Amino acid sequence: MAGFMEHVLANELGRLIVGLIVVLIFSQLNALFLVWLERKVAGHIQLRIGPKEVGPFGLLQTIVDGLKLVGKELITPKRADRILFIIAPVLVFVPVLVPFIVLPFSKSLPLNDMNVGLLVIFSFSTINVLAILIGGWGSNNKYALLGAIRSVAQNIAYEIPLLLSVLSVVLMTRTLQMSKIVEAQTSYWFFLVQPIAALTYFICATAETNRAPFDIPEAESELVAGFHTEFSGMRFGLFFLAEYTNVFVVCAVATTLFLGGWTGPFGHSFGIPGIIWFLAKTYLLVFVIMWFRWTFPRLRFDQLISFSWKVLIPLALANLIITAGVIKLI
Amino acid sequence: MGYFKDILVGGWSLVKGLEVTIKRLYRPVVTLQYPRHKIEMSPSYRGHIELRRFPDTGSHYCVACGTCMKVCPSGVIKLQGEKERALEAKRVVHYYIDFSHCSLCGLCVESCPMQTLKFSTEYELADESRWDGVIDLVKYFEESAR
Repeated sequence: MAGFMEHVLANELGRLIVGLIVVLIFSQLNALFLVWLERKVAGHIQLRIGPKEVGPFGLLQTIVDGLKLVGKELITPKRADRILFIIAPVLVFVPVLVPFIVLPFSKSLPLNDMNVGLLVIFSFSTINVLAILIGGWGSNNKYALLGAIRSVAQNIAYEIPLLLSVLSVVLMTRTLQMSKIVEAQTSYWFFLVQPIAALTYFICATAETNRAPFDIPEAESELVAGFHTEFSGMRFGLFFLAEYTNVFVVCAVATTLFLGGWTGPFGHSFGIPGIIWFLAKTYLLVFVIMWFRWTFPRLRFDQLISFSWKVLIPLALANLIITAGVIKLI
Repeated sequence: MGYFKDILVGGWSLVKGLEVTIKRLYRPVVTLQYPRHKIEMSPSYRGHIELRRFPDTGSHYCVACGTCMKVCPSGVIKLQGEKERALEAKRVVHYYIDFSHCSLCGLCVESCPMQTLKFSTEYELADESRWDGVIDLVKYFEESAR
């Protein structure tokens, strides 16, 4: 068995298949854990205790909820565009899996350490918007369509400062390879020298994942549930899984770019393996995003767009120009 | 200049907001796990009315005078009393209220000449039928003695 696994792992395709299976399992478990964490954080911030009935500390609650979703009927509205309606939940889940191929969990763990790793992540995470648009349009429901339209406008507005802030890190490291970016941070983490880029990235990442306070695409008080209003059962479940996996991915990218990936602070790892450092930092950022959700009220649409165009983009652009100038001088 | 001031002041207010919520995260919870833990109801809580138990006789003083029945604006009280022996005070035998129509105005409690009516602290009153709101207070009184 061990010999067989070695043979499989030596092969590029075998490595990819094994990796994909691990990623699929990890993304499901991660989403289940994040939903539980979200409910616990929400509960304690509101002086409640959150789920506690199923399993120790209610840990199995999300598994039970997932089983319920699997058991539910998949309802397709009569006037919906059947093909688009069925494609959308699948399409939303595929792009969130692709970034796992290049995420550097530890020095030896990226499935495929491409030299365009960062590019792969951002090109695929944009497909998410397309899936939301298809889902909203295919539902043939005014609330779903409104949610989808808002999502597209928001994602276009926030993609620009996101990429600008990432670009200033790329300028410093002169590479798009994830492992090289992490290795450049062994002596100090980049959020110390790029605080504005780090902050801009994090705000935009919150908006990209449609999380509060930027959750107007699914604003439940105005749009029922936004783009996934008409989806039931596991189709809704896939949207949900994709959202939480997406949260993990943007936080993992933030960890890689600004918090030194698998390295410990200032080059000391304290004997803790790299993957633990990586996951600890990522889940800390995930917690911060949840913390945002239960602190800030939702922005109005015009506030949201003007915040991006009037504040984030000029800031990120100025930061990029200053970074380029400083690098040229050094 | 106002542009940068807005960003800084706004950003600071966001940080303050985060501070408020993170403090809540570590505070003890205030909710009660209801079916397992219950709290003592406040004495001023208004449940349906019940017959007051007096410590000197260990019973109520209701003489079935019918004042509560006459004063009730919703007409939800119906009672009947009987005398066991002549020259003795009447005693209530049936005292029905339809709690589903009661507006909890408290006129019956105020008008009772024997002051033997009070509000109970009963709050678990969910039922399956509209007729389940009809309560026999005499029976309720006897059951609460046990």
